[in-house]
Amino acid sequence: MHVKEKIMKNILFGLAVSTIFIAACNNGTDSTSQSKKTDSSISPARTEPGTKDPGVSVSTKATPVKEIVGSYLQLKNAFTRDNDKEAAAAGNAMVQAFGKFNKASLTSEQSKTYTDIEDDAKEHAEHISKNAGNIKHQREHFEMLSKDIYQLVKTFGSGQELYYDHCPMYNDNKGADWISETKEIKNPYLGKSMPGCGVIKEEIKQ
Amino acid sequence: MRRRNKVLLVLLTIFGAIQFIQPARNRNGQASPTDITRVYVVPASVQAVLKKACYDCHSNNTRYPWYSIIQPGAWWMASHIKKGKQDLNFSAFGGYSDRRQQSKLKSIANSITDGAMPLSSYSFLHRGLSEDEKEILVNWARKITDSLQAIN
Repeated sequence: MHVKEKIMKNILFGLAVSTIFIAACNNGTDSTSQSKKTDSSISPARTEPGTKDPGVSVSTKATPVKEIVGSYLQLKNAFTRDNDKEAAAAGNAMVQAFGKFNKASLTSEQSKTYTDIEDDAKEHAEHISKNAGNIKHQREHFEMLSKDIYQLVKTFGSGQELYYDHCPMYNDNKGADWISETKEIKNPYLGKSMPGCGVIKEEIKQ
Repeated sequence: MRRRNKVLLVLLTIFGAIQFIQPARNRNGQASPTDITRVYVVPASVQAVLKKACYDCHSNNTRYPWYSIIQPGAWWMASHIKKGKQDLNFSAFGGYSDRRQQSKLKSIANSITDGAMPLSSYSFLHRGLSEDEKEILVNWARKITDSLQAIN
């Protein structure tokens, strides 16, 4: 009886340890799925200030990528304010904009370019939407995303006058580009610490 | 005392029963035609680092440790591998578009320098990467990204 009890105790201990271990791991995934939930719950409310932004909603020419570009500018403006949560919401808005995009009107050549860009850009937007709390990581994806959106705008038109800006200092002076709807430089990579850093590389006409 | 034994027995039975439910193993064994080594030059030093700390979750071939068969840990591991391969699969790298390959290589360098990868739980269970090993991997990824950007 005594020995049996000892064995039981050992097993119980083993079980407890493994339960704690697994609970700890599950907690990790729980918290991420929770943050995902809050992101999506934020997004409808957050789209409002974005659309209120001067320039974002201003559009004169029709372009099929209008909504995607709109969400990009919303994202960019969130980064100029160092706001990771708004950035996450805008990333989520972009994922949805990609989802709503209608490829039917495109030529096969355009469709190929679009798919190629979407494939990459959507993933960046997803990462940004899931990484509220880690603005550094969000900005890394924003850098790659900016290149995609630039190509998208060059292929399908911008619908509004845009500026392709360059920040020479980001990422240990490796530099990075972004698209803006304002002529005034507002740096999304360095945010409030260096808002005026950057130059206009190109003016993108409608 | 008797009650406790009963609870224990139930727990043990559950623990025993789930051992028979094993997730499919991520072991292809074959060299994939879209493997990264087929599309880019991967020096032996880089390959060694990739094998050591990346391929377990980011390829079609996981080296399973002996304890990986014990449930529910196996489920936990399988979910990590699934997520890892979704984000980046070195065995399928050649199948990504050029744009995506470039993004992935950049993200590899970023996540290593940021310390996001390898995951701390992975580094805890396996041996993590030394600073030298990290540098080998980051430099390699950056070199390819730079050469790709020069072409475009």
